[in-house]
Amino acid sequence: MDWKDNEDNRQDGDDGEEELDETDYKTQKDAVLFAIDVSSSMIQPPPNTGDKKKADTDSAVAAALKCAYQIMQQRIIAQPKDMMGILLFGTEKSKFRDEPGSRSSSGYPHCYLLTDLDIPSAGDVKQLKALVEEGDEEGILVPSKDEVLMSNVLFCANQVFTTNAANFGSRRLFIITDNDDPHSGDKTIKSSAAVRAKDLYDLGVVIELFPVSRDNDKFDLTKFYDDIIYRDPGVEADEVKSSKSGDGITLLNSLISNINSKQTPKRSYFSNLPFELAPGLTIGIKGYMPLHRQQPHRTCWVWIGGEKAQLAYSETAKVDSTTRTVEKTEIKKAYKFGGEYIYFKPEEAVALKDMGKKVLRVIGFKPRSQLPSWASVKKSIFIFPSEEHFVGSTRVFSALWQKLLKSQKIGIAWFIARENANPIMVAIIPSRNPEDAQSSTQAFPDGLWLYPLPFADDVRTVEFEAKRRPADEVTDKMREIVMNLQLPKASYNPLKYPNPSLQWHYKILQAMALEEDVPDKLDDPTVPKYRQIDKRVGGNLAELKEMVAEKAKVLMETRAFKREIEDYDDDRPSKRAKPAAKKPSGHLNNAQLKAAMEQDTLKKLTVAELKDILVSKGLSTAGKKAELLEKLEHWLGENA
Amino acid sequence: MADKEATVYIIDVGESMADCHNGREESDLDFSMRYVWDKLSTTVAASRKTWTVGVLGLNTRKTDNKQAHEGLDGYEHISVLQELGPMSMTSLKELKSKIKPSGRSGGDAISAIVVAQCMIDAFTKKLKYNRKIVLVTNAETPFDDDSLEDVSSKLNESNIELVIIGVDFDDAEYGFKEEDKSSIKRRNEQALEKLISQCNLAVYGTMAQAVDELSVPRIKHVRPFKSYDGALTLGDPASYQSALSIHVERYFKTKRAAVPSASTVVIKQESGGHSQSTQTMDEEDVPMDGVEFSGVKQLRTYKVNDPDAPGGKKDVEMEDLARGYQYGSTVVPFSESDLNITKLETKKGLTVLGFVPFSNYEPFMNMGETGLIVAQRQNEEAEITLSALIHALHEVESYAVARYVQKDGAQPQILLLKPNPGIEDEFECLYDVPLPFAEDVRSYQFPPLDKVVTVTGNVLTEHRLLPSEDLNEAMSDYVDAMDISTFGADDDGKPSEYAPIEELYNPVIHRVNQAIRSRAVDPDGAIEPPAGILLRFSNPPEKLVEKAKPEIESLIEAAEIKKVPAKAQGKRWKKEAVKPLSGLDIDSLLGQSRKTKTISSENAVPEFKQTIATADDDATVEDAVKQMGQIIRKLIEDSFADLFYSRAAENLRVMREELLGLELPGMYNKFLTALKRSILSGELNGDRREMWFKHILAGKLSLITSEESEVSDVTEEQAKAFMK
Repeated sequence: MDWKDNEDNRQDGDDGEEELDETDYKTQKDAVLFAIDVSSSMIQPPPNTGDKKKADTDSAVAAALKCAYQIMQQRIIAQPKDMMGILLFGTEKSKFRDEPGSRSSSGYPHCYLLTDLDIPSAGDVKQLKALVEEGDEEGILVPSKDEVLMSNVLFCANQVFTTNAANFGSRRLFIITDNDDPHSGDKTIKSSAAVRAKDLYDLGVVIELFPVSRDNDKFDLTKFYDDIIYRDPGVEADEVKSSKSGDGITLLNSLISNINSKQTPKRSYFSNLPFELAPGLTIGIKGYMPLHRQQPHRTCWVWIGGEKAQLAYSETAKVDSTTRTVEKTEIKKAYKFGGEYIYFKPEEAVALKDMGKKVLRVIGFKPRSQLPSWASVKKSIFIFPSEEHFVGSTRVFSALWQKLLKSQKIGIAWFIARENANPIMVAIIPSRNPEDAQSSTQAFPDGLWLYPLPFADDVRTVEFEAKRRPADEVTDKMREIVMNLQLPKASYNPLKYPNPSLQWHYKILQAMALEEDVPDKLDDPTVPKYRQIDKRVGGNLAELKEMVAEKAKVLMETRAFKREIEDYDDDRPSKRAKPAAKKPSGHLNNAQLKAAMEQDTLKKLTVAELKDILVSKGLSTAGKKAELLEKLEHWLGENA
Repeated sequence: MADKEATVYIIDVGESMADCHNGREESDLDFSMRYVWDKLSTTVAASRKTWTVGVLGLNTRKTDNKQAHEGLDGYEHISVLQELGPMSMTSLKELKSKIKPSGRSGGDAISAIVVAQCMIDAFTKKLKYNRKIVLVTNAETPFDDDSLEDVSSKLNESNIELVIIGVDFDDAEYGFKEEDKSSIKRRNEQALEKLISQCNLAVYGTMAQAVDELSVPRIKHVRPFKSYDGALTLGDPASYQSALSIHVERYFKTKRAAVPSASTVVIKQESGGHSQSTQTMDEEDVPMDGVEFSGVKQLRTYKVNDPDAPGGKKDVEMEDLARGYQYGSTVVPFSESDLNITKLETKKGLTVLGFVPFSNYEPFMNMGETGLIVAQRQNEEAEITLSALIHALHEVESYAVARYVQKDGAQPQILLLKPNPGIEDEFECLYDVPLPFAEDVRSYQFPPLDKVVTVTGNVLTEHRLLPSEDLNEAMSDYVDAMDISTFGADDDGKPSEYAPIEELYNPVIHRVNQAIRSRAVDPDGAIEPPAGILLRFSNPPEKLVEKAKPEIESLIEAAEIKKVPAKAQGKRWKKEAVKPLSGLDIDSLLGQSRKTKTISSENAVPEFKQTIATADDDATVEDAVKQMGQIIRKLIEDSFADLFYSRAAENLRVMREELLGLELPGMYNKFLTALKRSILSGELNGDRREMWFKHILAGKLSLITSEESEVSDVTEEQAKAFMK
């Protein structure tokens, strides 16, 4: 299936630059291992509060597994190359993989590797789904009577990462537990856990703790976990948030929200970019892409010649026009020009695109109002200071950020993201994380954004007129409608609007992969709530339409009158040349064209006129007159 | 679709054109041809069949034109060098060989215009064309100016534009006046100017200006493309009477212009026997003209993993392949007819979800290019309603959020509709920009910028990471001093916005295009540096920097930025001992539990790092490296196919990183050299070349060069040779 069949969808990936960043991400693959504590308190269902509607029915373990299930599905869509695994600990049963060369299951007592760390397969999803929805038939979720050693859990995780995700740029262990003091009093056991935690740190595994707190008990990090968790001092310290049930939020939602905020590995688009804020003043920044258009994946080739369907890898060989295989050293780059190739030597080709070193260089500042509302070409990049090369970067960055916010200004800068990247001009726009935001995941963080400005080359000119009309009583009516139809919280929160095409694609795919029934309907929040619109502004709309009809009638009459006068003027001396007297056919509206079609007078149009019309409808103009007519009629049949 | 064009260039190749004038080092002809070649190569670049070009030589040695052939007088020394027709590289090359100073004179410029006009009339008949004659001359040869009026009326009748660009013509507007002008030239200039004034469509100018302007990028004009023609609805007209429907049209307002892309080619191999000579020739020396390139195609073969096959992979036939999608690591094959079932069925439409105030939107949420929405032309109801919507949005300072489906079956998008009531530009419309969906947002977390939250949860407002009051003030002064909102100048010299979008040219597009054009004309010429106008905005304006000098200096002073010396960025810079949040002295704990210095394969990375971190002498390091080396070899040796390769590579990476940090590159290089030998000689249990190429070389784990570490004795060249 061709997903790129319409021009509007080519937002991303249509030039080499954009592709570059995604390939760069590949070397920074992410692996997440969930470690879920299965203790007797974790499997305890929550107390019945009597409030039926909001009652939380999930035990902590159930909530954690549901959360893992949801995140597994999300990752398949958003991070298809990344790995995920689930390790249960404190279970009566023990299970590790039974591969040759690895330690037998007895090596990690009371650790149960439910899903080995890997790119999730349909089978993994199915297994987890069964456990979540149908319950624990195999008796996995039974807490052990003996204490599980945290050092063992950590070393088990260590082995999972070492063998399965050896060279992943990002490796994280998500621990979900309600026990803030697993080895109270036993210093030796605590110490050995601390040693295993240091191993994980040295291995490059980051531990993220998702504590589950109950009632009003605070999860006390100092008892145990402060010895386990490492953070780079000073940089990007984010707090550990407890998940709990209450205030109308289920434990599951609380967990999902907390885990989601850390779910996507923070991958930088560039690091250590010199930011020349003023001549002679350079600071260091890192760049991120918090926005990226997610597309359904392309089709792949599947080998169905064997017992099991298998992914087929393609290997390409380059051949010339005589299908002779071409050696790498023979290959040259040349530009097509007037039917021939214009050749540049490799060093010349590189020199041609060389516009200087990678840099973000401010050339001045403007008030925000000087950014035209139409000036948009592609997504923005988020930047944040880095102290690595320039000590003091953060405070200077912060001062700039505060000034831009306070004075409603933007910076204008020359920007080359990496060596050999094409330069662009950007506006530097500050973002502010609203303090009172309900959930920190909704808002964008404090920082600066590099907003790409269009080049003059990117701006299309429109040759027709759209005269300004004065505001009138119709405007007043419309104003009431606008004021009555605000989106929830008066803002567009992207997280509330999943991409329907993407959701549908994966829903069907998931059903097919899991051999389930294919759904026939999609719950699509991007479809307006029509009933509510009718209820809230239906009356206003009806009135508005009446007003419009009346005004339109008057307008039409004055125009017809004007036209008559013009025609009258025209009729007297026939000095105007013939072709010019014709009405510009591109401006025949659809209704007129349709009428012409019905009266079979379309064929009176000349080829040039037909082509003009076709162009204006975005159709191709290839072919003879009869074909052009057919094309137009077909279009009118479908669209007018 | 661009209009058809017929242009005839008249080029004076006479005797005097071979001379250099006014201090130029190139002849008048070469100087003029800069302009002409640029125009001609632009035409070639467009490669449009309907853009036709003819070329006439004036003051040629021979005479070759229709009028002269018919026996008319006054048409001598005018030759048709190229008949009107499409322009290609071949014709460009041919022309190049023909345009040479003739050493003659005696051609009549006005006659040449008549010849050109007849050529155009004969070629274009009465069809719709943009007709143009371009005369390039230094006007040093006399011509007959009796019939100027006849000529101009003929040109007007045929609707031909006349462009005269003269070498060293006086041009008050451009500010050029030639001293010691010859009397012939003065007279000629006056006559030509008179001719121009009688023409309806005419341009007259001096060559210096024309050549100057060549560096001003010309923007490719693209006709507006209508991407949508249909209803903008509020409510659902199919089920609710109240629903509003406005017939609108949507065009692109911005669309990223593409940088010309190079194709992959090879030098064409002649099937004949003379390949001998091509092989012995140094490829660098092959002149462009003698070489033919041929495009390169991709030939695909397909393989699947097969543990039984040698190398773990086997070839498969096309007929055993089906299309499919990946769901995680599972592949789901689809029959050709089923492929579409994952595609959401959608109906074309643009429908409003609701409204949001200006203040709750930030431009950096935009996902891409802007569209422009106007009412359907000559549809009064649509006009009035859309106008009311635009004004209402403007008055209450709100945007509309809408769901957009370009055509049936297309993927829905969310668009933000912004009102443009046409106050400045008299163009009333809605602009639209795409917004992100939930899946498009990556929720990255960053610490706040105006306070520091410590690990223990304390909030600090004074900290080395936060600006002092002095710094804030200096920054504020600096930003205000560098305001460019009125730093530019408009055509009348009045202050205006500096660096407005109309003046931002895409440097790469114009540079590459310019280089291609000049190479097409002159294959052996060197590439020129980018034109100044393309780099104009790569630095702040000098004058402003000069003016803002005090602010810049006090900002630098308040900022107190310290550049970290290159060396300290490396790992050798003795890191503070890493501690967990609690500050527990983990090293001493480790010292107790890891007394032996043996590194185990299963926990190799942490144990290696820990040993290195506590090593007091090189001998301990050397021992650790030795152990790690053995682990790496063993992993490769025991690896079933490529199973342990990535693990071995990771161990190697850690070894490299640590030794680089300790400034012991020699130890790494020694190990890697030995490892290479072992791998390539096959002594690690079979063919392990994939480990070498895919993991070590592609993974950038090659030798540590002196560039990376000063103490390394391996040069860049040696490292390159090593990788081969």
